[in-house]
Formats: sequence, structure tokens, C-alpha cells
Amino acid sequence: MVVYSFYIFDRHAECIYKRRWLPRPTSIVGKSRSEAAPTGLGQTVRSSDDDSKLVFGTVFSLRNMVRKLGGEDDNFVSFTTSQYKLHYYETPTNTKFVMLTDLKSPSMRIALQQIYINLFVEYVVKNPLSPTEHPGGVGVNNELFEESLEQFVVCVI
Amino acid sequence: MSSNKTSRIGEEIWKTRVDKVNAELVTLTYGTIVAQLCQDYDSNYQDVNKQLEKMGYNIGMRLIEDFLAKSGVGRCANFRDTADMIAKVGLNSDTLKGARIVDISQVGFKIFLNVTPTVTNWTSDNAQFSLIFEENPLADFVELPDDGRAQDELWFSNILCGVLRGALEMVQMQIEAHFVSDVLRGDDTTEMRVSLVRYIEDEMPPEEE
Repeated sequence: MVVYSFYIFDRHAECIYKRRWLPRPTSIVGKSRSEAAPTGLGQTVRSSDDDSKLVFGTVFSLRNMVRKLGGEDDNFVSFTTSQYKLHYYETPTNTKFVMLTDLKSPSMRIALQQIYINLFVEYVVKNPLSPTEHPGGVGVNNELFEESLEQFVVCVI
Repeated sequence: MSSNKTSRIGEEIWKTRVDKVNAELVTLTYGTIVAQLCQDYDSNYQDVNKQLEKMGYNIGMRLIEDFLAKSGVGRCANFRDTADMIAKVGLNSDTLKGARIVDISQVGFKIFLNVTPTVTNWTSDNAQFSLIFEENPLADFVELPDDGRAQDELWFSNILCGVLRGALEMVQMQIEAHFVSDVLRGDDTTEMRVSLVRYIEDEMPPEEE
């Protein structure tokens, strides 16, 4: 399976980490707005900044809708389009982990949880020098975290 | 969640997943910090309380993530659940026992003591409760300064209020916590009053353009 990209959003809706593994093939340019008509693929060149905002918007609305329908404790795990699969994990502190993979991948919920527990908490939260809040989207700037994430994605997944 | 289940979770995590550190090390370290603060603020105990609370707040915000990662609990549906969770799981295994981890943002530590406070004195609207500490490792060997004021003004373990406030803020609950009695002052019990201010709404992304 292939992992396309990975995002972390903090409780202030700020994208604090994003990582893309593959250069985006043109066919998935329209990925985060596949609900809209996917006409004119690649017509606009969006920056990765816009990407993360779109991903957040999608995930945020979907989550709220799911909670309205299924109760406060409900949450969606992933959704699939014809081009990609989006996996979602949210902690009780409202930190959101999002991973985009190809269609063949199994559920990544456990993997995202592992990333939270073993990588994010260990290397980012427990790092005394890294800020707890990220105003202005400074984000996770932590080599240890990035390296381990890289390894995790390459080896484990 | 039933309180039996929560205390079991707490016990389990405490036994298997928490790195332990000598409790006296914690007590002495914490004592030193308070003593230093008293010195820095020229024994202005109100300021010391405030500073301790602030330190705790910064600790709590990080501690909660570790707590969630270890315990794997979901969102607490209501404030009552939360109280139970704090007392049985939180304080037992996670929030309070043999200190571990250095978190130098403001102060420099994270605490996990092994204490199970009792949750009581609920108000009828379920928005306030008290935590009664039978034992408090932070206060072992402690005698408050004998200057006639510390007995009335200093809340020695005030850092715990801050930890609680920081941790709960991260899970969308704004609370206010303060001590109402302390055995160090000669009271019968050590009691912390916790009141829910409000649930924090999800933040929306900033409007585009």
C-alpha cells in the first residue's frame, strides 16, 4: 500500500504537522474536494497549505455530521473515494490525525493511534522545549518525531 | 463508567505502564520549589499560590496527553464521569505518584502520585465536587513557615489545582479548582474544591479571506 500524506491538527484547528510522501500524481489533485465535481483536474495549482485546510474542513464537517447522527461518542474511521482513502483518528484533546493512503490499505486507525501514543506523545508532548500551543502554525518542528514517523511509515505500514 | 471499572484501570496502568521514581525525591524536589518561590516572592503567599497554580497548569496540559495515551480512555461524557476518572484513574495511577519526566516549560516536572482521593460533596447541579486527599506525597515531611501568615495564606500543594485545570482544559472542560482545607494548616482533611465553569466548544478554523 502507499501512503500519500499525513496531517496533524491541534485543538485550535491549526495544522501543526504535514508530510507528503509521494509527489501528487495529477489524478489525485482533486482529492480533498472529491465531493465537488472533479472537473478540470489540476486546473489550479494549490499549495500544500490549501490542501491541509481542505482536509481539515472535510474532516471537521464530517465529524460533526457523524456526531449529530450517531451521538456524541460516535466518530468516523475513514472514508473512501475512487482515488484515495482518508483515515482519521481524534484524541479526546481534540488533536486530529489524518492519513491519506491508496485504496488497498486496511484500516489505519490502530496505526494512527500508535503514532499518537508512541511518537506524538513521547517526542512532541513530552519534549520540554516544544510549545504546547502552536499559535500561527509554527507546528511540530522535531527531528526525532519526523524521523520516527518516517521509519514507522516505511517499516510498519 | 462504573467506579469499579475506573479504579481497576487505574490500578492496572499504575502497575504496568508507569515508570516509578522514589517518592521522597518528588517530595523533596517539590518542597524545594515551593521554598524557592516563597523566597523569590518575599513570602507573598498569594503570589506563590498563583505561581504554583500556573506551573501546574502548564504541566497539566502535557500530562493529560500522556494520561490519555496510557489509559486509552475516551471522552468523558459528563462532569460526574470526569470526577470519577480523575480520582480513580487520574490521581491513582497517573496524576500523582513518584514523579517522572522532566517538563521544563515553567517549572520542570510532571507528577504521578499514588493516591486515591475521595470524590464527595457534589452540588445538586453536578457542577461542583470536592476531592479529599487522605494522603498527599507532596506534603510529606512538610511544616509550613512559622511566620504567622503562611498558615493562613499558603496552599502548599496548590500546584495540583493547576495540573487539574490544565489537564481538563485540554479535554474541553474549563474548571476552577482551589484548596479549601489542608492538613498542613491544622485542618482535619485536605480538600480541593473543583467547579465546572463551562464546556469548551470546538474551535472553528479561522474564516478564509
